Amino acid sequence: MFRSTNVAARVFERQILTPRPGATINLVRHFYENLVPSCTICDIDCPDHSFRKITDDGRYLVSFSRNLQDIIVYRPTWLSFSFKGGNFDYQSLTQKAKKFDSFFTQLYSVSLGSSSEFICKDFFLYLEDHQFGLFATSTAQSHEVPAIEGAIHGVPSIEKITFHLVRLKDGVVMDEKSFCNDFVNLAHSMGVFLYEDLLCIMSLRYQTIHILQVRDSGNLVDVRNIGSFCLEDDELFLNSHAQCMTVLNKSKPVGNVHESANGIHHQQVAQASAFLTGIKQRLLSFIFRKAWSEEADPILRVQHLKKKFYFHFQDYVDLIMWKAQFLDRHHLLIKFGSVDGGVSRSTDQHPAFFAVYNMETTEIIAFYQNSSEELYSLFEQFYDHFHANSRESVHANFISSHSNNIHALEQLWSMKNKQSSFSQFVKKMMTSVPYTCQSQSPSPYFDVSLFRYDEKLISSTDRHRHSTDHPIKFISRRQPNVLKFKIKPGLETSGAEARTKKICSFLFHPHLPMALSIQQTYMQPTVVNLHLRIWMELEVVVIPVRMFWIEGLALRG
Amino acid sequence: MSSTSTGSLPPGAGGGGGGIGGSGVGGVGVRGWLSATSVSSSGKRIKKEMLELNADPPPDCSAGPKGDNLYHWVSTIIGPQGTPYEDGIFFLDIVFPCDYPFKPPKVTFKTRIYHCNVDSAGNLNLDILKDGWSPAMTISKVLLAIRSIITNPDPYNPESSSITQLYLTDRAKHDEIAAEWTRRFAR
Repeated sequence: MFRSTNVAARVFERQILTPRPGATINLVRHFYENLVPSCTICDIDCPDHSFRKITDDGRYLVSFSRNLQDIIVYRPTWLSFSFKGGNFDYQSLTQKAKKFDSFFTQLYSVSLGSSSEFICKDFFLYLEDHQFGLFATSTAQSHEVPAIEGAIHGVPSIEKITFHLVRLKDGVVMDEKSFCNDFVNLAHSMGVFLYEDLLCIMSLRYQTIHILQVRDSGNLVDVRNIGSFCLEDDELFLNSHAQCMTVLNKSKPVGNVHESANGIHHQQVAQASAFLTGIKQRLLSFIFRKAWSEEADPILRVQHLKKKFYFHFQDYVDLIMWKAQFLDRHHLLIKFGSVDGGVSRSTDQHPAFFAVYNMETTEIIAFYQNSSEELYSLFEQFYDHFHANSRESVHANFISSHSNNIHALEQLWSMKNKQSSFSQFVKKMMTSVPYTCQSQSPSPYFDVSLFRYDEKLISSTDRHRHSTDHPIKFISRRQPNVLKFKIKPGLETSGAEARTKKICSFLFHPHLPMALSIQQTYMQPTVVNLHLRIWMELEVVVIPVRMFWIEGLALRG
Repeated sequence: MSSTSTGSLPPGAGGGGGGIGGSGVGGVGVRGWLSATSVSSSGKRIKKEMLELNADPPPDCSAGPKGDNLYHWVSTIIGPQGTPYEDGIFFLDIVFPCDYPFKPPKVTFKTRIYHCNVDSAGNLNLDILKDGWSPAMTISKVLLAIRSIITNPDPYNPESSSITQLYLTDRAKHDEIAAEWTRRFAR
């Protein structure tokens, strides 16, 4: 459909045309083609913090102090500048625009660390209603791993990991939850998933998924642990029966109480090593039932089971849980793999499996290998169901994915067609499952139906990237030759040290034309650039501001 | 009698050990050669039993070697219909000794079961796997015997006295608890 891209024409069009039902926001988002963060303020005068995230309501910019002791939270605001009569002082406006404080107001600074515990700068999650944020502190990772009963080998250990629930409004620490001599993968919040008020923490070392609930009162409440046992009262049930056994035993000979108490303890230790864990039992019985039902003839079935099940039995037993995510309030998607692959980076080399687990009925619903074509077709068609986070958030619904955006789907298809080995391609795609919680920016500038950009250099996924000296181009999707804006991280003149490796990360505001680019170079100060839209002409300023106001209403409504 | 103590280990575990009676290198070599023949004869026997099991599998039971180790099997018994163990999937570990079939295989439950003939570590108290063992027994017969003891527990040969007591005094309560265990730990 041909439509004018002129902003004034669009405003008038909006007044007279009613968008198709349900497409109001899509139409409003077209304005972002006109309002782009094309102006760069290089090396903004800002505090030396490590900037983590702007929440998707745009109200909090979360950062950490360099010594990883404090969290500092800012409120993103828009630069305001006033002058009287005709004395427009361009100089002082530029001076003001160079200051970080002109765009971000500090709300509070709270100390979470201690002499031995440091904030994990890669970890931050927030609740959908933006009432609470979750931070983590940890002691250093120890390489000399103490052998502890119940812990698996080959996984590093951290003496203490503490999760802090902080009220975002004022920085009050509401609750804490600690894990000792454990390992939770905190890099990019991978080991933790937040869905509505449910929190899932994957303890790699003890192979336990801790399900917690964040109460409105600001408390972290244990719901259940999935691992050794499946239901929250399984252990209690088992112990109460073990207790009843010994009570019955004791009733006959009057023995020493201490001895029998030790007896119970030893029995339990023996049990822990002998029996399959709760989740493994469920998994193995699911695989067994599946293999059993695949072959109706009893004689062929035995052969089938021998090849498909018993031969691999020990491999299945040795699998460990790597990562988990919520699919909804009852279902978890759990990734299983070998111990070696759990903490290493190139995970696509190791065989991995995915299980869908219903934690209410304690049933495994489905089980796939990472080369499964069936799983891939689910991934291709229903990808949005894989990242169940922030369903309520209007912004998050517009994060481009190949199941909601034709351009992203075409891109996936072209990758699929280019690939020589389909199973390798499937494995590669499956490395993005389970989804990492809150890892994508909802900024409209990453909407691939509006803009085209090089996904190697920048994307909605929150990652550090290698930075080049060339600016990153955002090209209009509708007009393939029109460059809409450029994002240039780092200093303007960086010819001299062009060879040095630079790492860059980007923080986009969820709905304003504003972004931060943070470039880090080895042994050099961090360069923070602010990318935003600036209106130099007075009359132009009035229109867009009003437009944003209307847009804000449309997006909220 | 005591000479079987090293021989009863599976071949993988007993590697290198065995120079008890031997004097010098030659003795070790002879002993190794002897145990190798016994391994292969027991291996032949296990293979034969595997074929037999494949040809005529007992109901609700299946078994097979774990990986490529012929002496270490896994078996699955589906909880028999009409018992409190119904719908349960019970995994059992079966380890054949080197001198099989002259010594019984060692069978342990890998799945928790509330049963008076199984102790809290999963060890099964079944006469034919102990003193009642005969080299004429096969793995199919062992599986059938385990299945039948699951259906009909033997309270006069118990491993856990409290479960036995409950089984004999309050059968309904026993079945209720056993069904709950199956639901919680054996699904």
